[in-house]
Amino acid sequence: MLQKREKVLLLRTFQGRTLRIVREHYLRPSVPCHSPLCPQPAACRNDGKLLSSDVTHYMIPDWKVVQDYLEILEFPELKGIIFMQTACQTVQHQRGRRQYNKLRNLLKDARHDCILFANEFQQYCYLPRERGESMEKWQTRSIYNAAVWYYHHCQDRMPIVMVTEDEEAIQQYGSETEGVFVISFKNYLDNFWPDLKAAHELCDSILQSRRERENESQESHGKEYAEHLPLEVLEAGIKSGRYIQGILNVNKHRAQIEAFVRLQGASCKDSGLVSDILIHGMKARNRSIHGDVVVVELLPKNEWKGRTAALCENDSDDKASGDPPSEPMPTGRVVGILQKNWRDYVVTFPSKEEVQSQGKNAQKILVTPWDYRIPKIRISTQQAEALQDFRVVVRIDSWESTSVYPNGHFVRVLGRIGDLEGEIATILVENSISVVPFSEAQMCEMPVNTPGNPWKVSPEEERERKDLRETHLVFSIDPKGCEDVDDTLSVRTLANGSLELGVHIADVTHFVPPSSYIDTEARTRATTYYLADRRYDMLPSILSADLCSLLGGVDRSNKTLADSLDNANDPNDPIVNRLLRSMATQAMSNALYFSTGSCAEEEFHHYGLALDKYTHFTSPIRRYSDIVVHRLLMAAISKDKKMEIKDNLLSNKDLEELCRHINNRNRAAQHSQKQSTELFQCMYFKDKDPENEERCISDGVIYSIRTNGVLVFIPRFGIKGAAYLRNKDGLVISCGSDSRSEWKPGSLQRFQNKITSTTTGGESVTFHLFDHVTVRISVQASRCHSDTIRLEIISNKPYMIPDTELFQQSSLLLKSDLVKEVTRSVEEAQLAQEVKVNIIQEDYQKYCQTKGRSLYTLLEEIRDLALLDVSNSYVM
Amino acid sequence: MAGLELLSDQGYRVDGRRAGELRKIQARMGVFAQADGSAYIEQGNTKALAVVYGPHEIRGSRARALPDRALVNCQYSSATFSTGERKRRPHGDRKSCEMGLHLRQTFEAAILTQLHPRSQIDIYVQVLQADGGTYAACVNAATLAVLDAGIPMRDFVCACSAGFVDNTALADLSHVEEAAGGPQLALALLPASGQIALLEMDARLHEDHLEQVLEAAARAARDVHTVLDRVVRQHVREASILLGD
Repeated sequence: MLQKREKVLLLRTFQGRTLRIVREHYLRPSVPCHSPLCPQPAACRNDGKLLSSDVTHYMIPDWKVVQDYLEILEFPELKGIIFMQTACQTVQHQRGRRQYNKLRNLLKDARHDCILFANEFQQYCYLPRERGESMEKWQTRSIYNAAVWYYHHCQDRMPIVMVTEDEEAIQQYGSETEGVFVISFKNYLDNFWPDLKAAHELCDSILQSRRERENESQESHGKEYAEHLPLEVLEAGIKSGRYIQGILNVNKHRAQIEAFVRLQGASCKDSGLVSDILIHGMKARNRSIHGDVVVVELLPKNEWKGRTAALCENDSDDKASGDPPSEPMPTGRVVGILQKNWRDYVVTFPSKEEVQSQGKNAQKILVTPWDYRIPKIRISTQQAEALQDFRVVVRIDSWESTSVYPNGHFVRVLGRIGDLEGEIATILVENSISVVPFSEAQMCEMPVNTPGNPWKVSPEEERERKDLRETHLVFSIDPKGCEDVDDTLSVRTLANGSLELGVHIADVTHFVPPSSYIDTEARTRATTYYLADRRYDMLPSILSADLCSLLGGVDRSNKTLADSLDNANDPNDPIVNRLLRSMATQAMSNALYFSTGSCAEEEFHHYGLALDKYTHFTSPIRRYSDIVVHRLLMAAISKDKKMEIKDNLLSNKDLEELCRHINNRNRAAQHSQKQSTELFQCMYFKDKDPENEERCISDGVIYSIRTNGVLVFIPRFGIKGAAYLRNKDGLVISCGSDSRSEWKPGSLQRFQNKITSTTTGGESVTFHLFDHVTVRISVQASRCHSDTIRLEIISNKPYMIPDTELFQQSSLLLKSDLVKEVTRSVEEAQLAQEVKVNIIQEDYQKYCQTKGRSLYTLLEEIRDLALLDVSNSYVM
Repeated sequence: MAGLELLSDQGYRVDGRRAGELRKIQARMGVFAQADGSAYIEQGNTKALAVVYGPHEIRGSRARALPDRALVNCQYSSATFSTGERKRRPHGDRKSCEMGLHLRQTFEAAILTQLHPRSQIDIYVQVLQADGGTYAACVNAATLAVLDAGIPMRDFVCACSAGFVDNTALADLSHVEEAAGGPQLALALLPASGQIALLEMDARLHEDHLEQVLEAAARAARDVHTVLDRVVRQHVREASILLGD
């Protein structure tokens, strides 16, 4: 059955001698071909993913193409791609784990129409390497041979296009076999995908950046950065305690200067360091980017520096703040990078004037990332002028020690700067959130529920489950009109007089079998993303808003358990209380999911809730973690009942991996929610004259003191921001007898819980923590980054709203009003332009999102109400 | 270069086998005329030669003789050219002694030693090429040699190794897979009764997975038995034809 062959490898030992190694290589008559055209599917054992049958040809990329153009092959439009094992192995060997994992995920992803064909293990496809034949030639020959075999295997019914960058191969094999075409990649895109503009642009940009890199490596510049040390030296250094390993965290407000390395793992305990390590300046940061796992060498103590406590604006990177920095902390420099954490970055091209100032080298353009923490990226493109007003996605290719900035290439356009959709897309990309509509294969797994064919609980299921429809009064605490009700309650008095409180949760896992397409998708998304004006569901709406939603008067299957209640008390001072509460929770690190198998039982606890053990499972519709808990619960129940356990539980390792993923996604969801709220706040105040508009002046509470300013919370809009007491000209604030503020020369003095501003004229004003002040809100527009809210203290007295009755309510109403108004004004702008409306409509369909006054606004109001509830009941 | 992928997503191992598949086994019995029994086996690229003398009188010190059963004496050696880097000492090092001890335990469990009291059985095994699973190859070679010598045994002793990678048990590890450093289990089985003659593991493996790995090793050992059984029958057929002439 299997045929044994031998492969001879020549390896070089550490001592420099060559070693001749013989390895076995087994061939088999049939390996899975994953084609629907396969004449003997039983022999090929085609289980799992199949190529789709509605393609005009199969495409087989050569090893070089897979290495260089993998990003283009990732386009879902390109279908029927067969990756040969030979090509995949070269990616693994030459491009490293990152690239290889990308390829593996692509192959696993049910949404992409591509498969792997194990040609080297197939009896007729395997070609031994000939004596003196170069590796590259042998790889191309193997791939071509496998392509020909595959063509005949499918009984010559499907033409095959092999795409290669090797000119000789095109010459040699181009017309050798009828039905198997060999062409170059550029040629392939031009002929088969002339309309796929994005792919063409990406291809050009990859080609150009490669050419640049080749040129650059020929020129020998002076080095800008020290070389990274080799991996062995780093590992030895970490072990001996000479170097320290950690994750680089760039300070958002002083991105050019300050970065911190958070210690990781063993280095923490060994080095005896308690704080993070400061990395001062770009030279010391040595080409590492925010999020990278870096290796740091500590500097001698006399070179240690302190961090700055002063407020400062992002764009002003002059160090002339004049404040004495705080006491020195451990300072180091990066000597190597263990793991690069490069992702897609949203950037903005410089405006026309700036391009001209960049001058002679118009081909290479420095673009500014949206995220302050990422350095500028050098892009080679000719489209700079056309892309000026757009937000654009780029990827970093390399960062040579000879170059001040990293090199990258252009990937795709997101949308216009300042446009709501474009900015939202920016937020999504920056948080690595990808929301494509659910595919057909995924929707096919969903149960049907149409008026003609309503979904019913099957009789078997009905027997299995406990029927509470008659015995209990089940009710929901969500307001009327809410669509995705995933938990309900029931109360009744038991025979012994005690109360039974039932909590009933939708049984989503019943509809989402493990490792189905829909499960894979839900796992990737991990959570439903709520932005300020919309949401991106984790599960298709048929589940989230229909079948799993426990609607009144409709039969639904669900899980039930009993629980207990707590009491709540009354408030003293609502706003300060609420502020304190939110600050208290912010100080805590966020709670994380973890697998109970991964650490000792003593380490289980939830700090924020002060509980030893905590998990939640009330919202399986919008949290994947809850789905996992449901499955565990089901397994536990079926074990109790001595039923067979379906072998679908995750192992500890998988679960840890999953927890990491979910935590990561939750963080992204929180960030995106915060950023989108800020976006809406800015759009609300944009184009308003801060001098005259009523809405721009509001009451604020000081919640933190810095050396040159204070941080203010505005309860009316829920905005937090910095207000300066010393402006850029060095003048300080002073408040006259009418309490209106003015800028005068003087000095600031900071105490623990207050700050005093004294003018040269002797007047002084003091701001205490939790003082109420009147602030003016304005928007500071930024081209490359998100706009920011600016606050300016105009009086040290609270701002009085004529109607005090309204005061408490306004904070809540206005917050949701804000979203509504922005959405409305955006819609109005859209209506003005007929053409634009159409585009947006398409977008709506594309993202499957709800329009305008969505369910989300409603939910948001409920959430606000809930917040009020808790903050009112918060005991001081 | 990224680390070697021992088991691909498609379920292939480095050399193209699937998780439960054995390497190619080729064996011959009666390779030396001067010994009482001898055999040569190739399991993939692992090659071993076994020679058996006995049962005969105790050599050397008489005090070693056992009154109720035969003494099984095993010696293991590995040729200097058997590994990638040339070895200095062919035998007598720690590893060889340990391997000899393991072989002895294995065969004391399988040979009906009580039939030959106060006598001695010598088993000498030499590995000519080591490419993973040397213990298994030695046991299998020695089984054939003992059979060739006509010494009564309870059953064949069939050995095979198994490892554990990515939640999957791999049968019959090659050198590349062994060198990766995962858990590795060696099992010698009496296939007819399913009794275990020797079980050895030298790495940490979670208890939950042990059963799975053990099962894979046992299945592989039964497969080895099928092959060895065919070799023995073939040998007997050839021998009877020669005698018949």
